[in-house]
Amino acid sequence: MTHSQRRFLTPPALLVGLAVALALIGLAATRLTGAQAAAPAQDTQPGNEVCLGCHQQPGMTMELESGEQLYVSVDPAQFGKSVHSKAGVACAVCHTDIFGYPHPERTAKNLREYSLLYQNTCKICHEAKYQVDSVHRQAFENGDPNAPICTDCHNPHTQAQVKDEQGNLIPEELGKSPEICAKCHNGIYEEYANTVHGVAAAKGNTDVPVCITCHGLHQIEDPTTAQFRLNSPKLCGECHSNKTIMDKYGLSTDVYNTYVADFHGTTVTLFQKLSPDQETNKAVCYDCHGVHNIRAVDDPQAGLEIKQNMLLACQKCHPDANINFPDSWLSHYTPSPTRYPLVYYVNLFYKFFIPLVLGVMGIFVLSDIYKKVTTRVKRGGKSPAPEQKES
Amino acid sequence: MSDTTKAIQRFNVAQRIEHLVLIISFTVLALTGLPQKYSLAPISQAIINALGGIDAIRIIHRVAATIFVLEAVYHLVVAGYKVIVLRLQASMVPGIKDGKDAFQWFFYNLGLRKDHPKMPRYNFMEKMEYWAMIWGLVLMGLTGFMLWNPISTARLLPGQFIPAAKAAHGAEAVLAVLAIIIWHFYNVHLKRWNWSMIRGTLSREEMEEEHGEELEQIEQGRLVKAADPETRKKRLMFYAPVAGIFTIVSVFLVYRFVSFEQSSITTLPVEERAQVIVRRTPTPLPTAAPTPTEAPTQAGAQASADTWNGGINKLFGKCAGCHGTSGGLSVKTYADLLAGGTQGMVVVPGDPEKSLLVDVMKGTHPMKFSAAELERVIAWIKAGAPEK
Repeated sequence: MTHSQRRFLTPPALLVGLAVALALIGLAATRLTGAQAAAPAQDTQPGNEVCLGCHQQPGMTMELESGEQLYVSVDPAQFGKSVHSKAGVACAVCHTDIFGYPHPERTAKNLREYSLLYQNTCKICHEAKYQVDSVHRQAFENGDPNAPICTDCHNPHTQAQVKDEQGNLIPEELGKSPEICAKCHNGIYEEYANTVHGVAAAKGNTDVPVCITCHGLHQIEDPTTAQFRLNSPKLCGECHSNKTIMDKYGLSTDVYNTYVADFHGTTVTLFQKLSPDQETNKAVCYDCHGVHNIRAVDDPQAGLEIKQNMLLACQKCHPDANINFPDSWLSHYTPSPTRYPLVYYVNLFYKFFIPLVLGVMGIFVLSDIYKKVTTRVKRGGKSPAPEQKES
Repeated sequence: MSDTTKAIQRFNVAQRIEHLVLIISFTVLALTGLPQKYSLAPISQAIINALGGIDAIRIIHRVAATIFVLEAVYHLVVAGYKVIVLRLQASMVPGIKDGKDAFQWFFYNLGLRKDHPKMPRYNFMEKMEYWAMIWGLVLMGLTGFMLWNPISTARLLPGQFIPAAKAAHGAEAVLAVLAIIIWHFYNVHLKRWNWSMIRGTLSREEMEEEHGEELEQIEQGRLVKAADPETRKKRLMFYAPVAGIFTIVSVFLVYRFVSFEQSSITTLPVEERAQVIVRRTPTPLPTAAPTPTEAPTQAGAQASADTWNGGINKLFGKCAGCHGTSGGLSVKTYADLLAGGTQGMVVVPGDPEKSLLVDVMKGTHPMKFSAAELERVIAWIKAGAPEK
C-alpha cells in the first residue's frame, strides 16, 4: 500500500461507508417509487463535494480489461444543471457500492458490462418505468446486452428536467429528443432529420412529431407488427385531423376521413376495429408518404403531388399500374366540378336520380294504399281479402 | 264470381327456381355490398364480422355477383328460346299502353276513374322493375368490372373512372335495394301476398286486377300459341348452336371478368428501407480542461507571492471535502492546515521539501492539484506560507 492509501483507510472513512450502506438498505426497504422520494438522509452519505472533489477533474479515465477507457469525470457545472442535482440526488444514491478510497475493484471487463452494472439502479426512484413493456425491454430480456437500459438514453449526470410543473414535456427537450434515439438509430434519424417533420422539430417546432410522438415514450411498441400497421393511420390522423395545428400550415384536415372513405382506408379501419392482428397489405399513410422520410407533398423529389412520384408509390403495391392509375385515388380531395369532375357528376346524378325514381314509386304506392283504405272504409271495415270471401 | 279463387298458372318451376336464385344472389350482394359502402356504421361492422371479415365479405360479394351474371346469361338464353323458337309474345317489351296503364291505374287509385286498366301478362309495374333490374345489371356489371380490375381499366380510361365507378356502383346499389323494398315488397308482399313465384299460380281475382288483358286472352283462348313441334325443331336447329356459342362466350367472358388481372401484390409492401440499428460514432469524451476558473493564471501567480487569504485557501477548497477530518487533517482554516494531521505537519513554512503535502501531491493521492496549482502552492510554502 502506498503512503496515501494508508491515510485514507482510516476508521472514520469506514464508518462513513457503513453509514451510507445502512442508509441505502433502509431506503430500498421502503420501496419508494416516485422520483420525489429521492432525497435521502444526506448527512450519512459522503456529500457530492467529496466525490466531485476528485471526479470534477476533466479527462479522468480508467482503463478496463477490454482496453476501453471508462470516463469517470463529472462536470460539476453540467451536473448542477441536471434534474438529479436539482432534486438533491447525491452521488451515493446511485453509486451505492462506491464509498471510501480506494474504491472497490470494478468487475466490469468492458464499457457495456460497466453500464449494465447500473441496469437496476434507477429503480430506487423510478420503479414504475421498469414496469412498462417496450421493444427495448423485450430485447434486453431476450438477452441482447446492447438493448438500451435507462442510462443509455438518460445520462444521469446530465439529464435535464424534461417535464414542467404541469407534467408536460418541455418543448425544447422534446425537440432535442430525436438525438437520443439517434445514438442507436442513426440511419433512421438521418432520414427523419431531412423531412418536413424533422427539419421543423430541430427548429423547436412542437407541432411536428418527433420519434416518441409516434413510437411512444418508454412504452415503445414494436412497429413491425400487424397491429402497429393497422393503428398507424389513426396515429397520423390524430394531428392531421386537428384543425388548430393544420390551419397554421394551411393543411387539409380531411386527409384521414378521405383515406377511411376509400378502399385502402376502409379495409384498414375495418381490420383495425374487427381483427387487430390481421396482417394486411392495404396501403396505410406511410406506404405512400414514407415511413420516416416523409416529404411535403410538393417536394420536387418525392412529393406525391407530382404524378410520377405518386405512380412510383402506387407501383410499390400495384406493379402493373400505368400513369393513368394514380388518378384512381382521389388524393384526399373531395370531388368537385374542377377536381375529379366525373366522380362529382356521378354523385350529383344519383343525388337527383335516386329520389326521383323512389319518389315516383312512392307516389304510386301511396295512391294504392289510399285506394285500399278508402275501399275498406266504404265496405265498412270488412277485409277485401278474397280468401275470406269464399263462402 | 264463384271462380274468383280459381288458380291460374303463371310461372313454371324453372322460372320459380330462377327467381329464387335471383333472390339469393341479390340479397347476398346487398348484404355484402352495403356494409362495404357504409363500413363505419355499427350494423355494417356487425354484418362484416358475422360473415368472416372484410376479405371474406368481398369474396362472397364476388361469388354472388358471378352467380347473378350467370343467371342473366341463362335468362337471355331462355328468353331467346321463347321468342325465337316458340315465337311467344315478347311480353316484357314496354309499349305505349304501359304508360297509359300507369296513368289509368294512378287515376283509378285516386278515385278519378271507375275501373282499373286491364293489363297484360306483365303490367307496367313489373316491366318497370324488370327493366330497372336490367339497367342495374348492366351498370353494376360494368362498374363492378372496373372495380375488380382497376389496373386494366386505367390502361383504357382515365384513372378517375375507377372512383366514379365506385360512386355509381354504391349509389346504384342503394337505389336497387330501396326500389325493391318500396316497389317490389309493397306490390307483391304488403299489398297482398302474391304466391305466384312460390305456388306458380294467381287466383282469378288477382289476375283480373293485375293482368286483366291476359286473363281475357286466356279465357277467350286468344293467347299466342307456341309453335308446333315440327316448326320448333327446325328453329331449334338454328337456335341451339347460336345459344350454345352465346353461352360459351358468355361463360368465358365471366371467367375472364373474374380473373382478368392481378391488381396488387399479395405480400406486404416494403416499409422502412433504412437499417434499424445504426450506431452513431460517439462524441469524443472531453479532454482535460484548462485550469479551473478560480486559480489565477500562471503569469499572475508569478507576479506576486500568494498568501493564504489571497487565494491559496481557495485551492484547498476541493480538499476540504475529505479533509475536514480525514487523516486527522483539516484544511478549512490556515491554523488547521498548519496544525497538520495524524502524521504530523503537512505544511512546513519555507521548506517545500519537508512538507508532506508536496510529497502526497506528487504521489498517488486520489485528488491532486494541477501542475500549475502545485507550483503555486510550492512557491507559497517557499515564501514562508504567509497567511495574509
